[in-house]
Amino acid sequence: MSSDPTPSRAESVSSTLSSVISLLENEQNLKKQIREAVEPIEDLSRAAITELNKLHSAPFAQHGQICESAVSIITKTQPLWVTVATLIPQGEFYRYQFALGPAMRNLTTSIVLARFILHDELTPAFAVSNLIGVQHDGTEALQLSAEDYLQGVIGAVNELPRLSINAVTSQNFALPVKIAAFVNDIFASYSLLNLRNDALRRKFDSLKYDVKRCEDVLYDLTLRGLAPAPAS
Amino acid sequence: MANTDVIMPESSLTAMSRRQHLAKTFESYRAELDSDNERRERLIILSRSITQLSKKLIFHLHRGATSLGPAKEKTLTEGRKKEREIWVNFGKIRDELRVRGAGMESDKDEKAGREAFWRWNRQVSPGLEEYIEGLSFLWYLEHGTLIPLEEVQQTLSDEAGEPLVVVTPEDYILGMSDLTGELMRYATNALSTGDHGTPLAVCEFVRTVKAHFDGISPQMLYKLSKKQDETQRSLEKIEKVCYALRLRLIEFADRPEILAQMAKRALEDAADNEGGGRGDE
Repeated sequence: MSSDPTPSRAESVSSTLSSVISLLENEQNLKKQIREAVEPIEDLSRAAITELNKLHSAPFAQHGQICESAVSIITKTQPLWVTVATLIPQGEFYRYQFALGPAMRNLTTSIVLARFILHDELTPAFAVSNLIGVQHDGTEALQLSAEDYLQGVIGAVNELPRLSINAVTSQNFALPVKIAAFVNDIFASYSLLNLRNDALRRKFDSLKYDVKRCEDVLYDLTLRGLAPAPAS
Repeated sequence: MANTDVIMPESSLTAMSRRQHLAKTFESYRAELDSDNERRERLIILSRSITQLSKKLIFHLHRGATSLGPAKEKTLTEGRKKEREIWVNFGKIRDELRVRGAGMESDKDEKAGREAFWRWNRQVSPGLEEYIEGLSFLWYLEHGTLIPLEEVQQTLSDEAGEPLVVVTPEDYILGMSDLTGELMRYATNALSTGDHGTPLAVCEFVRTVKAHFDGISPQMLYKLSKKQDETQRSLEKIEKVCYALRLRLIEFADRPEILAQMAKRALEDAADNEGGGRGDE
């Protein structure tokens, strides 16, 4: 048959495919580089979590120091984010967000937890961005998305029922009150959001249990007359 | 709960202001999430309609691909027309992605659109893949070869040559993987009309594509590894057809009507074997 594929046509198919595959390889290499650049950030993030874990066992007097130290570990990620930002082609932050989002979430969790203990407040998204050094000089390309921030905050709240229980064990009866009020406020705030049936929604559903567990601790304290007198 | 009432009132003195403050902050988060969700919905709808139109394009091409001369020409011309209808929808996607940048200078507009494109890529890519499949099939019928990535990108650009959406190597490769399935169908249809060149050409083509894609590691493109199994099946089917065809071509070179009949039977055998093989598993 004369209509067998001519060698030149097969060659053109080959060269088209080869060039596309090498483009794909380049992109994969970039993804790998970005993931590697995020690794030291994740190491610091874990170090901050390790530090904050001490809250469960350390005497109350040391809480401030532990939280200060966790926040200062986190601020060390700032120059590392600059390195990450240089790898990301202009306008393509969201293309690589999958590699950055988890780290940002975990950092948000630690910051929110530490600053709740320190200042009894919810650290707003812009303040989290500031602390990790996103959208500074050299990191304009990076963003803390609302989704990542909101998930990170819930991560911090998830830690609080345990902290409340352990506070009682070490006879710190003021902290559970503070925690319950905070968790209630956070829950009320999240109730203002119109959530889709997605990961954030599932995270939000977990908040209800945290509220209940924190209030159970309060109930036990009140029942025994252990809850502190009204703040004077 | 009742007992906590003893405590809540006094802590709520400070909490009230914090709660109100939080409510304000969260209203702005709500506005952001709401507008994101609305945009996501609109993009999903556009992507779905692109998928539907692309499927129609592919069916249209199958119906006319094996006809000859002017009838085939007409099929291809209409195919191009359908392709342009889909193209309009990509224009709508581009506009949708630029909304946030509306009122800004055009340069920033472009940048905002680019940023948004990557953010919403997951909503757009199902339609895009289907479109690439349709376009590459059309191109194959027009040129008998593989459409280059640059050509796909150029087709998906506006009159000024600016991309409506970005076609990534991933999108392209996944689209080409789907193309092999369409070509298998095309080859078997061609066979029943007595066209022997097409199955042999398609077989060679699909084999080349598969060989190249086998070199891509699953870590690089996970979705492809599943599609490669499908391509393997398509290829084996075409190869069986070509095997029978080649033997008959030698045997009955001077009697085309017997050839067509034989080929059809070989095709049915191939289908049967496939069914039997599955049953054994």
